[in-house]
Amino acid sequence: MHNNEKINGSGKRTSFTHATAQAQAAGSIEAIPATVKDFRCPVCSKDFSGYPELKQHYTEDHPDAVIPVTVSLNINGKDCEVLIEPHWTLQRTLQFRLGLTGSKLMCDRGVCGSCTVIMDGRSVLSCSILAVECEGKNIQTIEGIAANPKWKPLVDAYCKWDAMQCGYCTPGFLVSAKSILDKNPHPTDEEIKEALAGNICICGTYPRHSTAIMEAASIMAKEGE
Amino acid sequence: MKNFNHINAKSLEEAIAILSEKNTVLIAGGTDIIPLLKDTVLPEYPETVINLKTVPGLEFIKEIKGNLCIGANTRLTEIAGNRTIKEKYTALAEAASKAATPHIRQMGTIAGNICQLTRCWYFRKPQNRFQCVRKNGNKCFAAAGDSRYHSIFGAVNGCLAVNPGDLAPALIALNAEIITTKRIINAIDLWETGYPSNTVLAKNEIITEIQITEPSSGTKSTFIKFAVRKSVDFAIVNCAVSVGKDSARICLNGVAPNPYRAEKAETVIAGKKVTAELAEKAGDIAVADAKPLKDTAYKVQIAKILVKRALLSL
Repeated sequence: MHNNEKINGSGKRTSFTHATAQAQAAGSIEAIPATVKDFRCPVCSKDFSGYPELKQHYTEDHPDAVIPVTVSLNINGKDCEVLIEPHWTLQRTLQFRLGLTGSKLMCDRGVCGSCTVIMDGRSVLSCSILAVECEGKNIQTIEGIAANPKWKPLVDAYCKWDAMQCGYCTPGFLVSAKSILDKNPHPTDEEIKEALAGNICICGTYPRHSTAIMEAASIMAKEGE
Repeated sequence: MKNFNHINAKSLEEAIAILSEKNTVLIAGGTDIIPLLKDTVLPEYPETVINLKTVPGLEFIKEIKGNLCIGANTRLTEIAGNRTIKEKYTALAEAASKAATPHIRQMGTIAGNICQLTRCWYFRKPQNRFQCVRKNGNKCFAAAGDSRYHSIFGAVNGCLAVNPGDLAPALIALNAEIITTKRIINAIDLWETGYPSNTVLAKNEIITEIQITEPSSGTKSTFIKFAVRKSVDFAIVNCAVSVGKDSARICLNGVAPNPYRAEKAETVIAGKKVTAELAEKAGDIAVADAKPLKDTAYKVQIAKILVKRALLSL
């Protein structure tokens, strides 16, 4: 992958390979804060040392406002706790509380599929799910797929077949692809098209996805033998 | 989205108690209510959102004494993939498999699908820009405005917006019964264009179950949807038919403010062998009462052909 070499700010040569991407994803999962550290009031931005103090502050200063809540989530196998307001969606929580920027916000209305995550085995849209309703659910995001060496053939096939252009919708497609491969290790072209029908790509890369996923499926089947 | 209180209901009684006293909305799958809240479409922004997913015992598909019982929280994928429903209640399985996208079908519930609000773009305009009849205003903006996706059978309560559901016509064609916390409603009586809802349900009434009596042997049913795109889009017109030995039920949706049962066309088909001519005649009669607006004449043609195709595909 020498053609991908770049010179970074310090003059050191680094190359962006699958290994670096995998390390980046693993790093972002590692960096998920396990407990809430900042108890900041969303109304007046004051910091507090703990949740009881924040609650006390609400009863004194903002008696009519909705008190933020703490929610325990399980993201990519890692348990964590977040402080959010009840109207926060899962996508917003992932991006602004846990630093997982892979689930993209695009239409924000549950149409385009760019924010797809896997929750308890179902591929669902994180922009249309309230984070408070995800307590105790097992959630997998694109970072979990990128960090897991098992799914390297899928990512490689996507790169090889160039199943992306601007790349903004690609995380959603990959999560949907993983979801279909979980249920059906040998999907047909028709089944893949049906499973990806909820993901929209404005660059029009649709035909490449089924090619890439079918190739990844056959490679993964061989590896599994 | 603006802020609201969120309550995970542990039982239906708890949910009803909260529904009765405050300005509240229910959330199950959330695929309709969350965009509505994001766009501030509802005339009054709710103070409290009640989660029904935490109520136990609302997610099931069972056959009891030959009757099909579907829990209100059952997701559309489960209905689309259930073998019994596919075999005996084909129209319902096909409708569930054609609604929205695979992701939304894995989130959305059957009760949510039949209670969803209209997709009229004047009603859905963010920040309540159009105070239409559904929002206690005094006019329907589609009458003078762009009405290409609106009713061909005239207005109900002054509203020209159509019912968008895919499951609604299938449930009517299969003569389903909707069981709520208060009563049992026959599917055809459930939908009513009101303020701002699409159903006759009272403010503190929750759908718990959908029941369908087993069709007599030899009854076949099917569902056809016409939309601009195969996935994602709401139907421009959809049609469910169920034809037995001596009875037939035909229901169109997307053509009127409430699902439209073509009763005159049913009498043409009932008890006869469906031939190409008879199906064509049924299609003609189904839209005989149509009074299309200036932009919706094309929908009459689509509705006519869908009835014909659905009957011939049985």
